[in-house]
Amino acid sequence: MSALFHLADLQGNILRGYRKPHVRYLILEVVDRSTARGWLAASVSGRDDGVPQITSGDWGANRPDTCFNIGLTYEGLRALGTPSASLEMFPNEFVEGMTARALKLGDVGPSAPENWPAPFDKPMQIHLIATICAEEVRQLDEIQNRALSAEGQAFKLLGTREGHFLPGDFVHFGYRSNMTQPRFEEIHDPDRHGDGQPWAPLGTVLLGHRTNLEGLMWRVPQPAALGHNGTFNAFRVLKQDVAGFEMYLDQAASTLLKHPQVDELLPPGAEERIGKGLSRHAALREIVAANLCGRWRDGTPLALSAEAPDPSAGWENFDYVGLDDSRCPYGSHIRRCNPRGGKIVQRMANHSRRLVRRGVPYGPPYDPAKPRDGDETERGLLGNFIGASLGAQFEAMCCDWLKLGLQDPRITGSSDPIAGANDPGTSWFDLPLKSGGTIRLRGLPQFVSTRGGAYTFLPSLAAISYLGSQIT
Amino acid sequence: MPSDESLLDRIVNAIPMTPAFSFVTTRILLPFWAWRTPVKPQPGGPRPSVQPGDNLQRMMNLIMPLKNKSPIGRAQAALTIAQNKDAIYAGLNNVGTVHFARFVIVGDNICMFSVYDGDFNNYIRDFIVTIGSVFDAIVSLVEEGYEVLPSAHNVDAFIEWIRRHDLYQMPDTATDFLRDQEALNGDGAASPGNADLRLLPRKMVLQLHANANVSLGSGYRAYPAFSAAQIRERLGIGW
Repeated sequence: MSALFHLADLQGNILRGYRKPHVRYLILEVVDRSTARGWLAASVSGRDDGVPQITSGDWGANRPDTCFNIGLTYEGLRALGTPSASLEMFPNEFVEGMTARALKLGDVGPSAPENWPAPFDKPMQIHLIATICAEEVRQLDEIQNRALSAEGQAFKLLGTREGHFLPGDFVHFGYRSNMTQPRFEEIHDPDRHGDGQPWAPLGTVLLGHRTNLEGLMWRVPQPAALGHNGTFNAFRVLKQDVAGFEMYLDQAASTLLKHPQVDELLPPGAEERIGKGLSRHAALREIVAANLCGRWRDGTPLALSAEAPDPSAGWENFDYVGLDDSRCPYGSHIRRCNPRGGKIVQRMANHSRRLVRRGVPYGPPYDPAKPRDGDETERGLLGNFIGASLGAQFEAMCCDWLKLGLQDPRITGSSDPIAGANDPGTSWFDLPLKSGGTIRLRGLPQFVSTRGGAYTFLPSLAAISYLGSQIT
Repeated sequence: MPSDESLLDRIVNAIPMTPAFSFVTTRILLPFWAWRTPVKPQPGGPRPSVQPGDNLQRMMNLIMPLKNKSPIGRAQAALTIAQNKDAIYAGLNNVGTVHFARFVIVGDNICMFSVYDGDFNNYIRDFIVTIGSVFDAIVSLVEEGYEVLPSAHNVDAFIEWIRRHDLYQMPDTATDFLRDQEALNGDGAASPGNADLRLLPRKMVLQLHANANVSLGSGYRAYPAFSAAQIRERLGIGW
């Protein structure tokens, strides 16, 4: 551990995940500047009787029962009276905010910010997003009450979003998730194993440290107490159309059954390999699902086991170096978003757009017995995509890779099959065959749409006390 | 041409062509307009598009005024490019998303014209990563370039600086032109003043007052919506 770096100075959700089953986001507007500053000062005071204490990265031997963290939007920093000399040093994309970057992020059509529900319909009012993680819902309520009952009125609660983990770490689409995160130089995390990727320098996720791009440093907003060891987060409310996804798998499997090369994809009699007692149609559905994602639904990466799910293959330890698409499609979701060491067009971009992802599903689990009967409850993912540069990491990944498929000429012009803003009229996805050819699937609709979000700055604990103390 | 214009019509129609009228409009009326109706300069480069294919083969027209406005300054710029040509070409090759790039001196400006795929910020950032030092050598010859050097430590500021020197790509249609003005002024909805199409020529004049050099539209493409890597792959020359 370097002298410049103390876990206790970081918010706790950046380098490691809490793995708490319940998560609630409080979306807040600053209504009184000096009370809000007092609230911030109290949140790092060490007196755990009023305002909940910010959970730091140094949580000792045991994870705390409840965790409390905050992120500030640019408007929030302004509302708190941050000096303009400091505000000017924040990067453009953060200053403009997520809604201004909609075209880059693919937030168009049903995902367009104009269609976001409250409180995300008024992005200028969103100043602070507080995150509560806990074992039980009761604790979420308790921390929320403490956060909002401070003397005087610091904040107005604009809205909340709440998620909870599904059994076995599955996401609504039925994939096992939450497996690979960057491993950081200098950080020992006993929960992490080798993942076939180089250690990420701390500058991947913390301002003021060496970045993934050789020689490049991101500007640290001054004073150092404000910017150093801070980072940025893209908070996203991502609605997932599970019924639509399952329907598409049905449709694709039916199309494939009639395809002359289907036996190459699934040799007759091999259905049992894919899953116990599966029909040919059901096995083909799973093959399509695995290819769209790059993992079988049980989490097995295709890169480690292309033929069938294999729990013994491991989840993380693989690379795409020299791996052609017969092992894992170039256009599959996980390969698009992180091509690891595989050959890509932008040669310097390997490993440079990595993100820390902290996501939790929201809404009721999908019930296959009741697919889409009228107004079904919204479900999806509350995602946090954390990195020291929103532009060089989150936006670069979204725009060039997820949306345009620029990283490989064989997928350029198609969008991510799962997360992309696909239009069934033009969308396509190539299913690789072992002979080297492909079967082109068409008509993918949009499965994921954005229902809100904000770019936030995750300040260090020193920055929180700086913001809490400064007087204009 | 048959004409039923009266003498008066002809006189009135001829007035705009007279030197006196031209003097009044360009030297008096226009500065007055521009003072009365401030128009912000439009940022350079193409806007991101909803259609994935429109985000390929995008044009950059970088016009950078040299500090030294003399043949000596121009020669310095020419030498800097010549000395670094191999590094620049290798860098462009490594960026992977560049179709063409040219360096040109026009007046006392060093210009870089290129066609690239995808997002502008990513293109410039990748370029800084590969050959930032060469970029720095060129920009150090340019007016106010020192503010953003070295590029590797001022990445965001450098990218914005380049965007300011990239030419505004003036849309071909009136609605897109008005959309750009609204976007710049932060108007979400069309304001009544902007909906008046009769004011369009005046708005264009004032915009061209703010952006003296522009690109008219975004240019012609012989094979649109193919990336550089796709073309190289199909030609079998490696990507």
